[in-house]
Amino acid sequence: MAITDLPTFVRADGPDKVTGSGRYTADMTLTGMLAAKFRYAGVSHARITKLDVSAAKAIPGVFAVITADDVPDVRYSYGIADRTLFAKGVVRYDGEVLAAVAAISPEVAQRAVDAIVVEYDELPIVTDLEAAVADDSPLVHDDLDGYAITGDTPHHGNVGTHSSIEMGDPDAAMAAAHTVVSSRFVADASHAVPIEPRAVIAQWEGDKVTIWTSTQVPFDARNGVCETLEMPTTKVRVIVPHVGGGFGGKCGPHYEPHIAALARAAKRPCKLVFSRWEEFTAPDRRREGMIVDVTTGLDAEGNIVARTGELLLDNGAYMADSSFFAQAAAMHVAGPYTIPNVRIDAQLVYTNHQPSGSVRAPTAPQGCWAVESHTDELAAAIGMDPLDFRRRNIVRTGDVGPTGQTYEEIGLDRCLDMAAESAGWGTTELPDDEAFGISIGWWPSFHMPAGAYMKMHADGKVQVITGANECGTGSVMTLRMLAADELGLDQTDVELVYQDTAAAPDGPGASGSMTLFNHGRAVEKAAKEIAGQLRELAATKLEASAADIVLADGAASVAGTPTKSVPIVELAEAAAEGELLLGSGSTDELEWPEIKGSSCLGEQGFSSFMAPQFICHVARVRLDKDTGVARVLEVHAVHDSGTILNPVAAHGQVEGGILMGIGQALTEGTQYDETGSQRNAALLEYKLQTIADAPEIHTQFVEIHTPNAGPKGAKGLAEAPNVPTAGAISNAIAALIGRPVRQLPMTAERVWSTIAEEVTA
Amino acid sequence: MSFAVATSLDDALAAMAAGARPIAGGTDLVVGSRQGKGALPDAIIAIDRLPELAAIEVGDDVTRIGAGVTHATLMTDATVVDQFSSIADAAALVGSPATRNVGTLGGNVMNGSPAMDTGAPLVVLGAEAELRSVDATRSVSLDELWTGPGSTSANADELCTALLIPNRPAASGSAYVRLEYRRAMEIAVVGAAAAVTLDGDTVSTVRVALTAVAPTILEVTGLDAVVGSTIDDAAVAAATAASEQATPISDLRASDAYRRHTIGVMARRAVDAAARRAMGETIAVPVNRALGVGAVA
Amino acid sequence: MSTDINAIELTVNGVPYPVAIDTSRNLSGVLRNEIGLTGTKEGCDDCECGACMVLLDGQPINSCSYLAVQAQGREITTVEGLADGDELHPLQRNILATGGVQCGFCTPGMLMSAQALLDRNPDPSLEDIKIGLSGNLCRCTGYARILAAVDATAVELRGTSDS
Ligand SMILES: Cc1cc2nc3c(=O)[nH]c(=O)nc-3n(C[C@H](O)[C@H](O)[C@H](O)COP(=O)(O)OP(=O)(O)OC[C@H]3O[C@@H](n4cnc5c(N)ncnc54)[C@H](O)[C@@H]3O)c2cc1C
Ligand code: FES
Ligand code: FES
Repeated sequence: MAITDLPTFVRADGPDKVTGSGRYTADMTLTGMLAAKFRYAGVSHARITKLDVSAAKAIPGVFAVITADDVPDVRYSYGIADRTLFAKGVVRYDGEVLAAVAAISPEVAQRAVDAIVVEYDELPIVTDLEAAVADDSPLVHDDLDGYAITGDTPHHGNVGTHSSIEMGDPDAAMAAAHTVVSSRFVADASHAVPIEPRAVIAQWEGDKVTIWTSTQVPFDARNGVCETLEMPTTKVRVIVPHVGGGFGGKCGPHYEPHIAALARAAKRPCKLVFSRWEEFTAPDRRREGMIVDVTTGLDAEGNIVARTGELLLDNGAYMADSSFFAQAAAMHVAGPYTIPNVRIDAQLVYTNHQPSGSVRAPTAPQGCWAVESHTDELAAAIGMDPLDFRRRNIVRTGDVGPTGQTYEEIGLDRCLDMAAESAGWGTTELPDDEAFGISIGWWPSFHMPAGAYMKMHADGKVQVITGANECGTGSVMTLRMLAADELGLDQTDVELVYQDTAAAPDGPGASGSMTLFNHGRAVEKAAKEIAGQLRELAATKLEASAADIVLADGAASVAGTPTKSVPIVELAEAAAEGELLLGSGSTDELEWPEIKGSSCLGEQGFSSFMAPQFICHVARVRLDKDTGVARVLEVHAVHDSGTILNPVAAHGQVEGGILMGIGQALTEGTQYDETGSQRNAALLEYKLQTIADAPEIHTQFVEIHTPNAGPKGAKGLAEAPNVPTAGAISNAIAALIGRPVRQLPMTAERVWSTIAEEVTA
Repeated sequence: MSFAVATSLDDALAAMAAGARPIAGGTDLVVGSRQGKGALPDAIIAIDRLPELAAIEVGDDVTRIGAGVTHATLMTDATVVDQFSSIADAAALVGSPATRNVGTLGGNVMNGSPAMDTGAPLVVLGAEAELRSVDATRSVSLDELWTGPGSTSANADELCTALLIPNRPAASGSAYVRLEYRRAMEIAVVGAAAAVTLDGDTVSTVRVALTAVAPTILEVTGLDAVVGSTIDDAAVAAATAASEQATPISDLRASDAYRRHTIGVMARRAVDAAARRAMGETIAVPVNRALGVGAVA
Repeated sequence: MSTDINAIELTVNGVPYPVAIDTSRNLSGVLRNEIGLTGTKEGCDDCECGACMVLLDGQPINSCSYLAVQAQGREITTVEGLADGDELHPLQRNILATGGVQCGFCTPGMLMSAQALLDRNPDPSLEDIKIGLSGNLCRCTGYARILAAVDATAVELRGTSDS
């Protein structure tokens, strides 16, 4: 099997994880620690008329019960500061936190939670996206303008952000088009579902708090505590033990402020561990539902001449980090195609659902699924093979994309060709109940400031102190390789100090596929500083010029004269008695790619893609037409993610992303009842793919020279694999039943209804 | 709350007479209490170590499968796989290896869920449940036993000791298929069992029972009419009757309309697989996996 | 509230542990809290993820939904009992080598299911492995490398037992 052919890469945190000795947050215990539990709203929209915690406080073993009255009156969030830590006045989704309890045991805490008395005046519940944007809709937030608003965030009524991308004259071009196809697709919300439910522990010493938490972004968690509890940055330390997966679900501050406030009130360390039900229903990290109306015009040869689209995205009750979603979704519905005339209008709509937030490639899998299903409809409308249609219309090196960005070297054309070739597109004979489907997608890399410190000790060993966060991807582990490479050492000479905000310089943590792209650049810079010091030392010792010193295989040698060499450890030993070997680095600002000839409303930084990644997936699907049950047998994935530094980790990201994509395509949909509560908040009803469902996955990488990329030409990777899988599966199903299934997930029942419609039509 | 491990059948019966509830694998009882549906019973008697409940005995007319036999045993035991294949099909689909390893036939039957997988096979095979209390032993038909979702007619002090299944005539086969959205860790959306006896190329008896389309396992009636018809005709007739007689609900797993449609598909496939087994064809357990996605026949 | 405490002994990885616990306590909670072996994880509320998988007399169970009192008198094996001293078990070594560990939260449960499978069936097909591990959800890896690791281990162990 190909997997065992890859060079082995044993993660530094691996032995800890396979022996069970590694500690995750929930595994930790502190002396005197109390159990924390939350009381949730339980209703989706209501005015609080009474909230009485006195009976809860009176229960023996209860140390503290806190509500909005016990924390500073701060509204916070990105884009629109619409929320408070604890519900204040009005609750807007059922998983909103009303109160927190600290007690001697989880059982006592639960009894106290149950003893809290709350009374409501019910308010009208907003759940339907189209009704929510109507003029007469009840409002989720009465007065958005009463909140602090940052960035270009056009809003009105229930619309939190309104974004558009526009180029050329789409109306005229559409009117002149040879063929016009309009489609509607509706995606349900879904969830990140890391297998570790989140956990938070807080402990105070004087006016300082230390928080252990399962976050992906320790600095965001820290900043969230500082903002909401009005504390200086220096008084809050966030430490992250091993994290059991995130997928975006653990980005941003979550319950760190609540537990810090609770521990302060209880005067004891407190620990929160979520149940799976809570993990599903409470956090502001749901993958947003979406309605996509898209129309595309083609000329007689099958070139796309115009595209218009209208998108509604379900933001849920509050802004998490979602203000950019509308524009991101618009970009995915435009797609990586050359389209001279575009107008896509997207609205992020408040509802009384759980808030939406970044989940692995936010907006992309749904947007891509919609537009790629639509693309096959376009190809069908003019009788063209879907692969040929894409070959004709995709963006290639030097092309101008749908917002006027000109692409430097990109590899989408090669992704398409290689995926088709790998699958045997057009050559493999398939049985009647099987078909291939193809889909392409894209995802940007992001620049964010990140820093790194580094020290080389007297024994030649190196510590890298980084703000990067390892939630499983292995990309933090790759940082060791980068440092070792610069210093001419083996990666086992390099240890990481990470996941501690008191020690490391700030950075974006494990979010937005940014670990390698940003933290990696900082580590390279820090390592270069020490490398420079080593070269100076070696130059003196070897009587050569520092510029001629090469660091490799643990030694500093004079280029061309390998006999003139000194072990690095000797230099380190000497330095320990003199000027210490210390390095630091911070990412250089990268230039955002220029766009020309387009205009964008609600600019949120997504109108052009920095170091864009491109993807093509081909899925082979078998369909049981009698029941609508589809099964994915193979996925052929080709990615342009720039240079691949760590093949094992890279393959792992692609494979994991694809499985998540299959789940989203077929079985993972968040179901709501009419009151806005999730009906399937359990893993037996919200169905992840099991190992028995896993298809064969054939992954290849197109490694081209990418300008403006990360270390050694690497781009991001963790999110992209999640983007096109559902689209590919959709197109395979459509090939078998003659039309696309217009709802995501494409559940067996929905496939069956689509077949049945065709029969009656 | 009290807990004790029964060391003999009498021990268990005495504890039940004193008000204890039996626990076998606990995969319904404990899981149910953890999902917040309710507390555990006040007194629990563990019956998972009683050899008396763990035996499969083949008699002259009747095979006796102990209530404590686990799904893992049911799906591999030669007698069950050969003679009562539909039970093995069903057991092999229950939960995961861990669920099958401790979950028992008795627990499945006595839990009384309309979604229980071994129920429909037991019905088409004409099984009876043996119930024992300190004072008496009786056998009841399953029809009598299951009175509604999660309820049985057994008295609180009655332990199910075994399922009694008439031995199969020659040229017989049975099969159980269920609709699955993924290939493991599923709960029946709908499922169908069929038991078929052939007379040459035609059907001499056929029984079909349905999972998760009524408050209890539902046996399809009126199939006498297909006696003497071909296998294909019998399968089609069973499918039609199943869809007509089912009274499914809509819930988060499926709509009533989709259940009504797919129960017909499952019934047809179950009859077909049972008949093929009756003809001597070997279809591995479980039929679902042997025949592929969504139980494609 | 029940005040019914049972003083029992649980044998974990060959070591007997006397514990006093309430009847309603689940085994994973007792392993993690009273006994202090936190390798066994909890990822759900009710038998749906497999993170809590341990072996009871060599067979897999979901310890989150198993009463601790019901495990008395039986041999419990957790992930901490897999390695032979400092020597990793071949399953542990191979799952690291293939890249089958990412966040690692599913890993202990996966390893226990794999161990039970290989004990039961030393020569499993890929389909056998898939069914054997089907009660363990992994969100990170897409399973391919876990499958490869178990397959490689089966080959390796057969090699040693044949010789
Ligand atoms: C993850 C998971 C997946 C599952 N998947 C399926 C599935 O696919 N199909 C399916 O049918 N079921 C499934 N189940 C349910 C369950 O596993 C089965 O019903 C199992 O057979 C129950 O057996 P048990 O021994 O564990 O029962 P227990 O939980 O021990 O008992 C269940 C009930 O029956 C009573 N009881 C047990 N034995 C007796 C007896 N001999 N006499 C009288 N009363 C008794 C108990 O008091 C209790 O009320 C699943 C459960 C889980 C946790
Ligand atoms: S924690 Fe036991 S199965 Fe999830
Ligand atoms: S490695 Fe993260 S869940 Fe499996």
